[in-house]
Amino acid sequence: MKTRIVLLGIFCLSLGYGDVVRKDACYTCHQVVDEDRDDDAKIMTHIDQDIHLQVGLSCADCHGGDPTAFDDPDAAMWDNDDFLGAIERGDQPEVCGKCHSDPQFMRQYTASVRTDEVQQYWTSQHGKLLQQGDEHVAVCTSCHGVHGILKKDDPRSPVYATHVPETCNRCHGDADTMAGYGIPTDQYQQYKTSVHGKALLENNDIGAPACNDCHGNHGAMPPNVVTIADICGTCHVNNRQLFVSSHLNYDMLNVGAKQCIECHGNHGIQPPSEELLHAGTKTFVCQSCHDLHGEKAAVLATQMDSVIDSLKRNYDQARALISTAEQKGMEVSDLYEFLDEAHRSLMQTRTSIHSFNIQTVRETAGPGMKASTNALEGARRSLQEYDRRRWSLFFMTLAASFLVVILILKIRNM
Amino acid sequence: MNKIVQWIDERISLEAARKFAKKKEVPVFYGTVWYYLGGVALFLFIIQIITGILLTFYYQPGVNTAYESVKFIVSKVEYGWLIRETHSWSANLFIFFIFLHMFTVFFAKAYRKPREMTWMTGMLLLLVALGFGFSGYLLPWNELSFFATRVGTEIAGALPVVGDFLLKFLRAGDEVSGATLTRFYGIHVAVLPLIAITLLVIHLLLVQFQGMSVPPKLEKNPALRRGAIPFFPNFVLRDLTVWLIVFNVVALLALLFPWELGLKADPLAPAPAGIRPEWYFMFMFQTLKQIPAHFLFMEGELFGILVFLVGGIIWFLVPFLDKHAGDPDAVSSKRWTRIGIIVLAFIIVMTIWGYLV
Repeated sequence: MKTRIVLLGIFCLSLGYGDVVRKDACYTCHQVVDEDRDDDAKIMTHIDQDIHLQVGLSCADCHGGDPTAFDDPDAAMWDNDDFLGAIERGDQPEVCGKCHSDPQFMRQYTASVRTDEVQQYWTSQHGKLLQQGDEHVAVCTSCHGVHGILKKDDPRSPVYATHVPETCNRCHGDADTMAGYGIPTDQYQQYKTSVHGKALLENNDIGAPACNDCHGNHGAMPPNVVTIADICGTCHVNNRQLFVSSHLNYDMLNVGAKQCIECHGNHGIQPPSEELLHAGTKTFVCQSCHDLHGEKAAVLATQMDSVIDSLKRNYDQARALISTAEQKGMEVSDLYEFLDEAHRSLMQTRTSIHSFNIQTVRETAGPGMKASTNALEGARRSLQEYDRRRWSLFFMTLAASFLVVILILKIRNM
Repeated sequence: MNKIVQWIDERISLEAARKFAKKKEVPVFYGTVWYYLGGVALFLFIIQIITGILLTFYYQPGVNTAYESVKFIVSKVEYGWLIRETHSWSANLFIFFIFLHMFTVFFAKAYRKPREMTWMTGMLLLLVALGFGFSGYLLPWNELSFFATRVGTEIAGALPVVGDFLLKFLRAGDEVSGATLTRFYGIHVAVLPLIAITLLVIHLLLVQFQGMSVPPKLEKNPALRRGAIPFFPNFVLRDLTVWLIVFNVVALLALLFPWELGLKADPLAPAPAGIRPEWYFMFMFQTLKQIPAHFLFMEGELFGILVFLVGGIIWFLVPFLDKHAGDPDAVSSKRWTRIGIIVLAFIIVMTIWGYLV
């Protein structure tokens, strides 16, 4: 065996392999060892793309051993006290944390790098269970991969934003793996159909939330009842602000209801529409907790719906009229400012329903109603002006045509 | 009215003008309609002067004012939209009728002796009209005009020897900027009108002195003629009729197909898709696009520009090159007619191609 490795080493050197090969015995020998392994068992297939190798670290930096001992496997591996071999799952956080929790070490690669991953991990559900001896839970390599680890912002990485849902689903979507934990396994299927899932997975909008944006990543935990609004509010700031000040928030907390989730759902969240406020219909969202008829909730929902509806109708009408005027060649760019304001107000009014206060909703819709009325009147004036132009031009061309006829008659008589 | 005429006649004798008007005749034949084309171009030029002067009352050249002032003209000034639309449409029709006039003159061989100078002043007027178009296009300072000017001046900058100077002269610097805008404005409202009016006066005087040309075929075979009509008042009244019809057409185009103002130019923004020059530059633009990056021993673009330059000079000198223009049966004369057909077909095909891609 010893002779074989020496010969292979010499052979590789003679072929002029790169610096890594000359410097790293692990790399050289394991390339050869891999050749006799099944594809699933190979460890070197993606090694060249590994970020650690690319920044100059060697196998020995994680696994220990002596990477300079080319001619003696024992000297390279077993004879060294620090040699770890294949790292146990339970040891992974600490092995990775050797570097990743050391700010001074990490700063040489990125100035603003975070170093609290391991610390957070131990606070996560995964970390807690690992500490209790459950080695089925996710450890570093479960998400980041192994022997081919990519930077998190590399689009090929399993933890790149668009890949996160699939990466989490590898375990969370597997009924066998999840058996015994008592949690559902259809989150990913639901997420794919949600407004967030479509934005991220279909439109590649990496600003849309993936699993980690709500649950955390290294410190992944299921959100508890009190923090749901805060989590959604990370992005939906105004909705959160209005909701937490509303009476409904206190009422929900008192009965242990799950704030945003109660109306909007969680993994399968759909784009909201006014239909949620249509009392007396199947889509009426309040009915899951409130009685349907005569309830204060139904009255309030109808009132809020009516404010949004009238603003929306005004806005749509103004937009259509402006578009008609524009198609007729009228200069209406000033009116778009009103239209933009009305649209902004419409968005704010939709948000304002999270105050569950009709007065607030009406006040928010006020500037939008004014702006859309201005836009509407401006568009009407523009169309009237267009008609005026047509008539004035008609008389002008009529006069010119009359002159043409007179001239033709005159020419004929000459 | 008679008293006024008498009053003027006592001071400057109108007799010479009367005699001239009575004597001048316009031949009547199958191509009499061609004689209206130059007159239509003249009428459109007059519209340009009037609407142009009206626009200067409100237009303010400058990066922060040009676009805004045009917007103000079309939206707030009473009938400002009509003036701007008429100016834009009339400008395009002006160039269209000059081209039409030029080709009818070419195919009728009206450039032959003694009308060489009329042809050459006409050609120079066409160049001035293109200059009007190019400089006027930038004035609204919108996105399309800004980038089209950038491309147009780049093409001028590719000329050998004078290219660099020309580019900086036109742009008033290295880039299209506010300085380019004010420079183009000055050229558009002062320099070009002076040159145009001077050339136009010479052109019209030559036409009046030399009278209307008839095609060589007609000269050789007078039987094809259907007589002649007096220039005044018969032809003038016909001219006036055509002008009124053109006036109506311009007014209708202005109302039904207004020119979009578009977005304000942003020199820092990337060039939007679909940047192309005005239609009358399209055939040159499309040709330059088709030439490979390197052709023979020079850059493709430079080669194309040189071909157009040489072609333009030959076209300008055609009265001296077509030596037997007066003889409809001469081989060389027919060859020039064929060249004219090829040039016309080339311009039409390249223009259509340019709009299709």
